[in-house]
Amino acid sequence: MKVLEAHNITKTFPGVVALDSVDVSFQLGEIHCVIGENGAGKSTLIKCLTGVYAPDEGEILINGENAAKNKSLFDKVAYVPQEIDLFGYMTVAENLFLPYEKSGFNGQVNRRLLNKRAMPILERFHIQADPDVLVKDIPVSQQQLLQIARATVNENYEVLMLDEPTTSLTTKDTEILFDIIRQIKNENKAVIFISHKLDEIFELGDVLTVFRNGVKVAYSDIKSVDIPWVITQMTGRAVDYNQVFYSDKVSDEVLLEVEHLTGEKFTDISFVLKKGEILGFAGLVGAGRSELMQAILGYLPVYAGTVKLEGKSWKFGDPNFSVNNGFIYLPEERKSQSILPMLSVRENISISALDDLASKSGISMRKERELAQQVIEDYDVKTPTMEREIKFLSGGNQQKVIIGRSMRCNPKIMVFDEPTKGIDVGTKTQIYRMMKQLAEEKGIGIIMISSELEEVMKCSNRIIVLYNGRKAGEFDEKADKEQILSCILGVKSE
Amino acid sequence: MSKQIRKNQNSIFSALKKSNMTVIGAVLVLMIILASIFSPYFLDIYNLQSLIRDLAFIGMIGVGQSLLLLIGELDLSVGKIASLCGIMAGMMMVNWHWNPFLSLIAAVVFGLLLGCLNGLIITKLRLNAMVATIGMQGVYGGINLVLTKGKAITNIPSQIHFLGKGNVGYIPVPFIFTLIILVLILFLISKLKTGRYIYAIGNNREAAKILGIKVDKIRVIIYAIVGFISAIAGVLYVARLGSAQSSVGENWPMNSIAASVIGGVALTGGIGNPAGALIGAAIISIIQNMIVLFGVNVYWQSAVSGFVVIIAISFSSLSTIISERKKRKIKLSNLEQNQ
Repeated sequence: MKVLEAHNITKTFPGVVALDSVDVSFQLGEIHCVIGENGAGKSTLIKCLTGVYAPDEGEILINGENAAKNKSLFDKVAYVPQEIDLFGYMTVAENLFLPYEKSGFNGQVNRRLLNKRAMPILERFHIQADPDVLVKDIPVSQQQLLQIARATVNENYEVLMLDEPTTSLTTKDTEILFDIIRQIKNENKAVIFISHKLDEIFELGDVLTVFRNGVKVAYSDIKSVDIPWVITQMTGRAVDYNQVFYSDKVSDEVLLEVEHLTGEKFTDISFVLKKGEILGFAGLVGAGRSELMQAILGYLPVYAGTVKLEGKSWKFGDPNFSVNNGFIYLPEERKSQSILPMLSVRENISISALDDLASKSGISMRKERELAQQVIEDYDVKTPTMEREIKFLSGGNQQKVIIGRSMRCNPKIMVFDEPTKGIDVGTKTQIYRMMKQLAEEKGIGIIMISSELEEVMKCSNRIIVLYNGRKAGEFDEKADKEQILSCILGVKSE
Repeated sequence: MSKQIRKNQNSIFSALKKSNMTVIGAVLVLMIILASIFSPYFLDIYNLQSLIRDLAFIGMIGVGQSLLLLIGELDLSVGKIASLCGIMAGMMMVNWHWNPFLSLIAAVVFGLLLGCLNGLIITKLRLNAMVATIGMQGVYGGINLVLTKGKAITNIPSQIHFLGKGNVGYIPVPFIFTLIILVLILFLISKLKTGRYIYAIGNNREAAKILGIKVDKIRVIIYAIVGFISAIAGVLYVARLGSAQSSVGENWPMNSIAASVIGGVALTGGIGNPAGALIGAAIISIIQNMIVLFGVNVYWQSAVSGFVVIIAISFSSLSTIISERKKRKIKLSNLEQNQ
């Protein structure tokens, strides 16, 4: 029986059509996998199906009723986001039952009763933590399971939507989770499973919908298809997928030398980066890659170890020193760490070049406009005018502005932290090309952090894998995918 | 050439639009018109002069305060810095017989140092600006009382009285100081690196740090500027009264923040223009002036002026509320048409 249906859904954002006339329906007692590259429109679809966004066109039906008219219908859709979204300073039991009205607690909330009701649920999800412990003190994998458990506490739910639930789970936890998901399916609920990991989808799913660039491109029974078919559907061009972007002009000159660096989230890391090289950093979310780079930048503290740039020793804890010496970090969190949202594209570009623009009578508006115009043209930024506030640009165009402005700091090393997160396929390739060009033409050393292994393998001359804050392996461009993957997942080889 | 001028005008216009300054400017004009219609005394030259003299003090501190609001912080000790610096100036010239002008300069430099101290405490100890400056205003106010034992310092030399009481042409001298300060601050925020960095910090402090901007250094500089301006207001007020008193500037922290907010500077930082704070100060001063002119009962004055300030602040948020309503209406009517 169809419980959740989307009819002809279209959703646009300034400059991007995120979803284009999408029809999709979900049945009770079925595990429906949704797959697509980053930027394919999956998360927009989720937000429409959970009532966060109202679609521009089309309608959402829940049990045959239009949900735009009766918002309470969205309560039937239990959604588990990709990121951990719990209250760290509240107990496990409290997190499980918030908000209390929806989980059957009326009036007073009694801690003993909370804990008593929590026990069977925790047991079912194999969460060993005591219900009285604060959530911030339990391991990430347990938090992930708790988050899923929380979604099922609301007894009215008929659809369980899981967004990349296994990213921070170990193999064993994943098995447990899959068993639970199968049980939930047998209780005649609809399960929507969103994942990048194809093997998981083939292990668990019943049916499959593939998205590409905001369009639903395929729907099939999983038993009748195979992995290469899915990849072709996802990318649309199997040939292009094998294109590589590593630098062809790696010099022997060592640019950056990191030795035994230790900080809060990483331990004893050593590596070198050569001029004109693209060095990939692979690993799970939370493996300590961003923290390592932010520590070298001086944004986070370093506890021990040394860093040398072109043989000269490095000053820790001072981003101003690092930027002046050509170490540029482009953050993963564009919104919270790199754009100046309410300022214009022009001001976002010039902020890194004020020394060049200033004369005795202050900053020259004319030079500032010329610079902004040049960056917009050189990096193919799509914006109506340079006075547009940057928050209105798409993620890809924001990223181009940020790359463009970084070039004004005379970079020697550029760290791209998840540079294609939330960026559409076409722009992704543009950004890979930019990195290759920067490495080859300007001899910049590039460090690329990405959680998409495909992407790291396509772009990097060498790959370093971090696992749980430690260096778990180093591979060259000929390395085998399986090998890197098992290293990323912390499986000891041999 | 002419093309370039037009471009510049465009950017000034867009900056005004961004900071809601046109709306607030219109409100000011409207208030002036209403005031002159309802009270025959409003446009009287003596009334206008005393009004502008009042607004000069709130205005200059408001302009400074707006810089702090732009980075998402504030300083509640501005009033106490002003009175402490006034008292220092008074002691120097009356008790120690220093040259009056030298005393004024020394007191203003002292204010700069107090502002610096605020900034250093807040950045080095990583304190919340509001809580820290509440604490510091207690400290400064306490020193005031220790120095004066609650008594005013009188017999301020008459050479300096014109700085507070005098006019140049028809314009009160303190207001000229306010305009000079405003012009310098506007130059700072639009033409100097530090000014651009202020907006960057207010927009996104983390991004500013990652860009290599010395965030803490700039924060200390702004606190120092605010201390400096507060001290100027303090010594000019001494010149105006002819005596130095510890009770000066009690309302200045709140009024300067209100002036900035009315003038379109966001409390969360990153949006607004210090010129707005001066317009905001003018609106507050006109409100207070009208209350006196209309002969509102003394006991009601504070309540009425507070209420009118709330209305004035609401103008900018009201426009967003209305536009959101409109959007909702359009959307819903579209939905119905599709059915």
